[in-house]
Order: sequence, then structure tokens, then C-alpha cells
Amino acid sequence: MTKILTGGVGKSEVAGQVTGLGLPGVEIVVSNDMDAAVALRAGRADYFLGTCHTGAGASLGVLVGLLGAAVCHTFGRSVPSTEQIEALLDEGKRVFGYALDQMDAVTPVLAHALAARTA
Amino acid sequence: MGSLPAAAHQGPAAAAGALDFPVAGQLTVIGLCALTAYLAHLALAVFNDGVRPFMLDFLHGRTTRTATGAVSFGLSAGFIFGLGAPMALSSGVLNPWLVFLPTDLLGILAPRKWLAPVLGAAWGAVVVFGLKGANEMAHELPVDFLTAMQQMATPILFLFTLFPALAISKQFGRLPGAVAGVVELALVILTMKLWPKVFAGAPAMAAGVLLLIGFAVAKDLRQRRTQRAGTAEERPAVPDDDPMVSLFSASAARLRRHLPLFMALGAGVCLLAQLHIFGGGEATSFLIAKGRSAEAAQVDFYRAFGFLPLIATTALASGAYGIAGFTFVYPIGYLLPSPWWALVCGALVFAVEVLALSGIGRVLGGLPSVRDSSEQLRGAIGATLQLALLFGSLLAAQAMGGGLGILLVGGLYLLNEAMGRVVVRTAAGPAAVVVGGVLLNVLYWLDLFTPLTS
Repeated sequence: MTKILTGGVGKSEVAGQVTGLGLPGVEIVVSNDMDAAVALRAGRADYFLGTCHTGAGASLGVLVGLLGAAVCHTFGRSVPSTEQIEALLDEGKRVFGYALDQMDAVTPVLAHALAARTA
Repeated sequence: MGSLPAAAHQGPAAAAGALDFPVAGQLTVIGLCALTAYLAHLALAVFNDGVRPFMLDFLHGRTTRTATGAVSFGLSAGFIFGLGAPMALSSGVLNPWLVFLPTDLLGILAPRKWLAPVLGAAWGAVVVFGLKGANEMAHELPVDFLTAMQQMATPILFLFTLFPALAISKQFGRLPGAVAGVVELALVILTMKLWPKVFAGAPAMAAGVLLLIGFAVAKDLRQRRTQRAGTAEERPAVPDDDPMVSLFSASAARLRRHLPLFMALGAGVCLLAQLHIFGGGEATSFLIAKGRSAEAAQVDFYRAFGFLPLIATTALASGAYGIAGFTFVYPIGYLLPSPWWALVCGALVFAVEVLALSGIGRVLGGLPSVRDSSEQLRGAIGATLQLALLFGSLLAAQAMGGGLGILLVGGLYLLNEAMGRVVVRTAAGPAAVVVGGVLLNVLYWLDLFTPLTS
């Protein structure tokens, strides 16, 4: 079971989008940056998806400080491809930030890639 | 207010006050840009909330200037060209995205300490002279799309009023949201009836924000009580040697050590706002352009609550503060009667903010619903402005070009959506008006369009 936390301005929308995909083996929980940082550190969650206007401020915020930039990545306002996400996951990235106005495009690609890792 | 707009659109010269504004305003922008680039170079402050988290690694030497610069460029470019530039061009008023995002970048990239303020000042000069020139030129055109842009103000003012009710609906559900909406609407109608001179949205926004904060604090306190009652709660209590706490206190101490620099920064930003050549929020540029500084102050004051927790937590997590602090210096600046007062008040506000930072962080750590509220507020601000700016853009389109104007502006907006939002959605409307205005002028020269007589 992969546990994904969401945070930032669009946290409930992202959770809704992922739930809508009906991916097996994925649990998605609405959280916030501070609680998520603690949960990821303690191994009580696997990934964090954050959204905000820049794709990094409220999306990553405290997480970069606490978990280190090595596990955090922001797509900013760009829409990544599955290959890009795969490469980032291979690097060990677990925290992803992206912009609110690209939410519809980014969430499904990202969620499918994370779900594929579970299987 | 009807007679103001034409004059207010001439840029810096339009603001009235004790100093000679064309020169004083230009010098303020250039000097402030030098200072903000210097602070970004020292990793003491950046404007972009998204870049701030990355400043910690930079500070500890775990990453290079170039790499951090790349992050800054990636996160800022869209906002400089997609939000700051179209907003500034369409309102004739400066904004933080156009002024401060490039100085973040230049300051971070500058390889030498002395080079940062030089590059910052150069950017300041580009902004003041470039904007003034572009603005004056645009007003000379047969189809004056800048005057048409003043149609933006009404939808912004009235729709923005409802943002607390939207945030309440999303955070606390339909019933509280509906109650807040009805209370706000009643207050708007009451204000229009009883105090026609007061901006109708002011009491409604105040009530809405108070309701939201009230709901959030009540929820957090309730949660804390139940947590204390059930001792063995599954939610683990935060231990004293929490890494978050030590990270936060180290950052707060670093910022306090540089208090004089921050006071200078606060003085500069407050002065810029006081000169009425600058609007701090997405909505405010159009209000400042119309000379409605009291309304602009209210809009930016309430907006600040949406950003305060974000700025506080990112500053405490990274050791770099915000260029505009908690943005309270904007509304204070708009309202102050003289530039000298702005310098004094700006410095004092920043001193208080920096000193209070660690306390604010501690309080916010225990109030998750309040932090959530601020995110909901930012989401709601985005939603109201999106509609207001789109609607205002179509009004402006109609004013400058009738049906053809609406076709051009609405069409460009839709095209941007279809192409994956090249321009940030908030700015897509105003940017479409600028492009549409240019196209109408081209059509006029080709003898294919007759300007509407207003």
C-alpha cells in the first residue's frame, strides 16, 4: 500500500482527482505541510503532493527544510512526462510540488507513476 | 472619482504629494531594487514564496548560486512575463512580480557581492523608464486600451468582497459557507444604504475574515481539548527535541541578527506603496491606478491573512524572509499621508515582524486549522480574482472594441487555456486585453476597424 499525502492550496482537489482515478494499492490522505513532513520523516507516509500558485511555496514549504532538497522536486508550472517522473523517482524524490493552474494535467500523470511503483 | 482616471494613468507623475514624484519615484524604485537584489544575494530575503524553501540549502552551501538561480528562474519567469508585465502595462502601476521577482533572480545569480545591488538598480531603471515609455506610448494610440482597462476595477472590488465566504465553504462546509455568504451580502447592501461613502465591501470582508479565523481557532482549540482528554491519542504529540523547532529557532535568530537591513527594506517597500506608483496584490494595481487607495488598502490588508502563515513558515524553515514581509506594509503605505511617515512606519513594521517571527511560528505550529484557513483564503482569492479579471477584461474589450474586442480578448483567453496556459490564468485576461488592444490598433491602421467614440 502506497500512502500519498496532499497539502497546499489545492490539497482537497488533488486528493479528489487521485481518488477519481481509482488506482489500486494507493491511499491518498489530505494533510498539510507540517504534519506531512513529520509523517514522511517517520515513515508513516510515502509521498507528498503539494499545490500552490508557484508550485513550490506552499507546496513544498517546510518539507524542503525538514527533509532536504534531495527528496523534493517542483514542476513549477510545467507539465512533466511519465519518463521525467520515473527519472525523478529513481533519484529518490518523494515530495512533489506543482502549480494550481496545471493541477488537472499534472495530478493524473504523477498518480499513475506512483501507483506503478506500488505494483 | 470619475475625473481621476485619465490623469492617474500617466504613471508616476500623477501621484500628488510633498516630493517631486517623477524623480523621487524613479529613485525609490532603483534604490529599492538595489537593496532587494543585495538581500537576495545574501540569502536574507526573497520575494518568491516558492524560491524561499530552497534558500536553506543555498545558505548551507549544499547547492550553488547557478542551481538556485535556475530554481528561481523556473519558478519566477511565468509570473514576471505572465503576471507582472501584463499587469503593469495594463494598469500603468508597478507590482511586486515585475519589480521583485527579477531582483530575486539577479541577486542570487550575481557572482560578487557588489554586483548584486548594481544589477538590481539596473533592473529598477529598466522598469521605471520602460514602463513609463510603454505606458505613454499606449495612451497615444487611436484605440486607447489602457483607459479601457479601468473597467477592471468594479468587478474586482465587488467580487473580491466574497472571498472569505468561499474560503469558509471550502474549509467548513456548505452551511457555514452559506451563512457567511448571507452575512456578507447583507453587510454590503447595508453599507451601500447607510454609508454610501464607505467602500461597500469593507465591513463585509472584515466580518468574513473574522468569521473564518473564528471558526478555525475554535476548531483547533476543540481538537486540542479532545486530544488532552484522550491521553493515548494515536496522533503523536510533538516532542521537545522536534527537528522543526530547532530549524525554526536557528532561522529566527539569523533573521534577528540582520534587523537593521530588514528595517531599511521595510522602509523602502512602504515608501514605494506610499508613492502610489505600486500595487501589492493582483487586484490593487487597478485600484491604485484609479486613485482608490483606501479600497486598495483594505483589499491588500485582508489578502495578507492568506499569506501570513505561508511567509512565516517558509521564512522559519529557510532562514530567508519575504521581501515585502507579511505584506502589511502595502496597505499601511497606501494610507500614510507623507513619504517620511512611510519610511518610519515601514521600518517599525518590519522590526516588529522579524522579532515576532519565532513566536508566530510557535503559535501556527499548534493551529493546523488556522494554517489551513490561510490556504483556503489564498485559493478563494485566486478564484474570485480569476472571475473578476476575466469579466473585467471582457468589459474592457467591449469598451475598446465592441463585439470585435470581445471576440479578440475572449478568444485569446480561450486560446491560452487550450494551449496549456502559457500565461498564468490570473493574468490571461489582462494580457489578452493588451494583445487585443494592439491588434485593434493594427486593424485601425489597415483601415479595417473604426475606434468606438466614447
